[in-house]
Amino acid sequence: MSGNWLRDPLAHFLIAGAAIWGLLALMGDPVDPAERSITLTREQQAGLALGFERTMGRPPTDAELDAQIERWLREEVLYREALRLGLDQGDPVVRRRLAAKMDELASAEAETAAVSDAVLVRWLQDHPGRFAEGERFTFSQRYFPDEDAMTRFLKGDGREYSISLPARMERATYDEVKAVFGSEFAEQIAAMREGRNAQLPSGFGWHIVDLEEREEGRPKPLDEIRERVEDDWRSSTAAARRDQAFDVLREAYRIEVE
Amino acid sequence: MKKFVAVSMAALLVAGCSEAAVEEAQRGDGTDTIELAEFPDRPYWGDTHLHTDVSVDAFGFGVRLGPEEALKFARGEEVTATTGMKARLARPLDFLVISDHSDAMGATRRLYDAPRMMVRDPTLRRWRDMMHESPEQSTLAVAELITAAANDEIPEAMRDPERQAKATRELWDRHLDVLDRYNEPGKFTAFAGFEWTLMPGGNNLHRVVMFRDGSAHTRQVLPFPGIDTTVEQLWDYMDAYQDTTGGQVLAIPHNSNLSNGIMFELTGPDGGPMSAQYARRRAAREPVVEATQIKGDSETHPFLSPNDEFAGFGVAGWELGNLPLTARATPDMYAGSYVRSALLRGLTLEERLGVNPYAFGMVGSTDSHTALATGDEDNFFGKHTGVEPREGRAMEGQNLGTRQGRFGWHYLAGGYAAAWARGNTRAEIFDAFMRREVYATTGPRMVVRLFAGFDFADSDWEGDWVRAGYTRGVPMGGELEDRGTAPTFLISALKDPDGANLDRVQVVKGWVDANGEAREKVYDVAWSEREMDGASDSPVPPVGDTVNRREATYENTIGAAELRTTWTDPDYVEGQRAFYYVRVIEIPTPSWVLFDAKQFGLELPANVIEANVIQERAYSSPVWLRPRSTPGDAPAIMDSE
Repeated sequence: MSGNWLRDPLAHFLIAGAAIWGLLALMGDPVDPAERSITLTREQQAGLALGFERTMGRPPTDAELDAQIERWLREEVLYREALRLGLDQGDPVVRRRLAAKMDELASAEAETAAVSDAVLVRWLQDHPGRFAEGERFTFSQRYFPDEDAMTRFLKGDGREYSISLPARMERATYDEVKAVFGSEFAEQIAAMREGRNAQLPSGFGWHIVDLEEREEGRPKPLDEIRERVEDDWRSSTAAARRDQAFDVLREAYRIEVE
Repeated sequence: MKKFVAVSMAALLVAGCSEAAVEEAQRGDGTDTIELAEFPDRPYWGDTHLHTDVSVDAFGFGVRLGPEEALKFARGEEVTATTGMKARLARPLDFLVISDHSDAMGATRRLYDAPRMMVRDPTLRRWRDMMHESPEQSTLAVAELITAAANDEIPEAMRDPERQAKATRELWDRHLDVLDRYNEPGKFTAFAGFEWTLMPGGNNLHRVVMFRDGSAHTRQVLPFPGIDTTVEQLWDYMDAYQDTTGGQVLAIPHNSNLSNGIMFELTGPDGGPMSAQYARRRAAREPVVEATQIKGDSETHPFLSPNDEFAGFGVAGWELGNLPLTARATPDMYAGSYVRSALLRGLTLEERLGVNPYAFGMVGSTDSHTALATGDEDNFFGKHTGVEPREGRAMEGQNLGTRQGRFGWHYLAGGYAAAWARGNTRAEIFDAFMRREVYATTGPRMVVRLFAGFDFADSDWEGDWVRAGYTRGVPMGGELEDRGTAPTFLISALKDPDGANLDRVQVVKGWVDANGEAREKVYDVAWSEREMDGASDSPVPPVGDTVNRREATYENTIGAAELRTTWTDPDYVEGQRAFYYVRVIEIPTPSWVLFDAKQFGLELPANVIEANVIQERAYSSPVWLRPRSTPGDAPAIMDSE
């Protein structure tokens, strides 16, 4: 998301100008659209050349750069006059891009800031569930097509049934149990205590289950999963900042939906 | 304003440097990173065909999720879909191939982001304006773009190879880094790939290209463009990749059902006789086809298989013509458009050429353009973002091109690919594709085993029958050499643990008879308990129907949890070429259309309701029976490595 407007210097100028104008307008400072002086800096010219190159795949010739500048100036003049006439008002495209810019502003720091280990360690501690190595289950099971067949077996006058399911799973994660035996079975086995027997239904039928061992999940140390923690911190923080920034702004409005 | 520029430049620099270390094991093909099972011990589930906002059409259709979100979603994390709904896959996938279109990779996104004045081409400028105007206009712009691609009328400015190559290089390098980051041997495999989108006159010849290797290899190439190239040039590209990098790559044709008969031709690409060299190259590079996906099912057509009562799944609407419906299909085209007839053509061609160009395995996938690899009926996120869950999507006309004939309810929820592998790494799963030990499902995760040999017996089921299968026979995708006795098969199908029971298991046999005619027959080999009418040669009666149309529910009170059998071909004739694949049929269940009707309170026409009580299925890859080879013959199709 963040790379696109950055990559595009011209759009950048236009929007940045509009955004700042918008901000100033919000804060109540009067903009002076009547300013009649335009300066095109060296950096801005380089930006134009770069923009040309990105779109056309080669640098502009001098004549083309002149044309770019001429066009930019023309646009800048028209842009300022358009602002003066308030033509940006009620334009859905301008409206949407400005709103997006505000979100970008709010989250930009989180998306690019270098982050210290201390921050990530705290993040890891605060959200252990996201990074924990899942619990592991070791169990054996005996299959029956229905509850009656299982009951008869438990009373001693039943028979055994064969099915292409593992009779035993060793150190299987929750997702592995779920993939083989289904959600219903996995949820129940996750609720069992180590060393217990139980009769559990599944998508296949019924099972007499012996949960031999369960190993609790524990988070890995930061240096093993730093990348994942950092990704998670970045995206969560960016989203949170966007929401916070919006809440602050939103507070200042009284809104009626008629 | 200046300060703004400075800040954003700094931001760019920081972003460029923040690429943190990814573990070595994640970067490669996964060899020696995890402990492997002795034999493939479970199917690994994946989607080999997913589009993100990098795809020219997907972005235009509105998707704003990229490869990273796609990977997160596939491995089980929650993401927010473009239209705002939180989405999380109840059962994560094991692997994913992100297959964004190589043509104009990222171009719609760039066009969208480009300053308007820089877009000089009037057509591009109009598309750009449409994309900015509204989602509906954006969808129309892409429909125009696809039609333009089909008619070879893409504006020059968008297809300039040099400009495109530069942009693609940036995208591709960044993308490969992301893939390595999400690739975790033993847990989740992220494959590099792209879609090669050749479509002469709108007839679909698309392939998904899938790499075995990590970024050190794949960085040495760029995705190969489809426009203005030929399939032989694609194979040249693949050969060159293997020769220069030492890596491996394969291609998966898809939507043959939209090719108007040209995906699996009897002739060579120039219309003349097919050459042995063409057949050999095709077989070596394209070991697997995608038989089922959102845009219909390509197994077979009732016209081709009139005696197959289960033919015709996912055919309605799609059979009308090619991809953008710029040309109608006629029945004489079907044999080149469907997979079973292609397998038969392969046998015929092999008789003549000594090599079978169409000896492929089968997978299913989604072809979703939402960046969300959803394959189930109750989580269908739509073909693209314009048809993410909302009230009208089931009954609307949904035509990529500008003509009529296909409606929302013709779209399937999409399929998945299952790969029998010894572990979850790039190398193991890729190799399963190369040896065709893979199968297709229309979404449910049935576990399907197929072994072929000459001495299997019912008693094998009592012992370690998987070991017996691997040591005394060949698994799906394998080949048997005729020994003068009928082949015997160990076949097992286990229902999806969270899905519907099984109706029946069938063997589809294709062979070339003494007159050189290609023939096919479907055998019911195992079925759940039901009232039989007694006559031994009568077909197995229907399993019944528990679907509540209004509530979109069904009961597992009919059907079986597992069906397995030892089956010997009763019609074996010595010396005949044949293939055998397994088709597993579930009991009737509601399709996504009935789930939509329930959720949005729709009143659907009766014919639409009945068309959306479906029997989902799995297709195994075939096993081939070949005549005894005489010395000097090429023994198998995999010999070109």
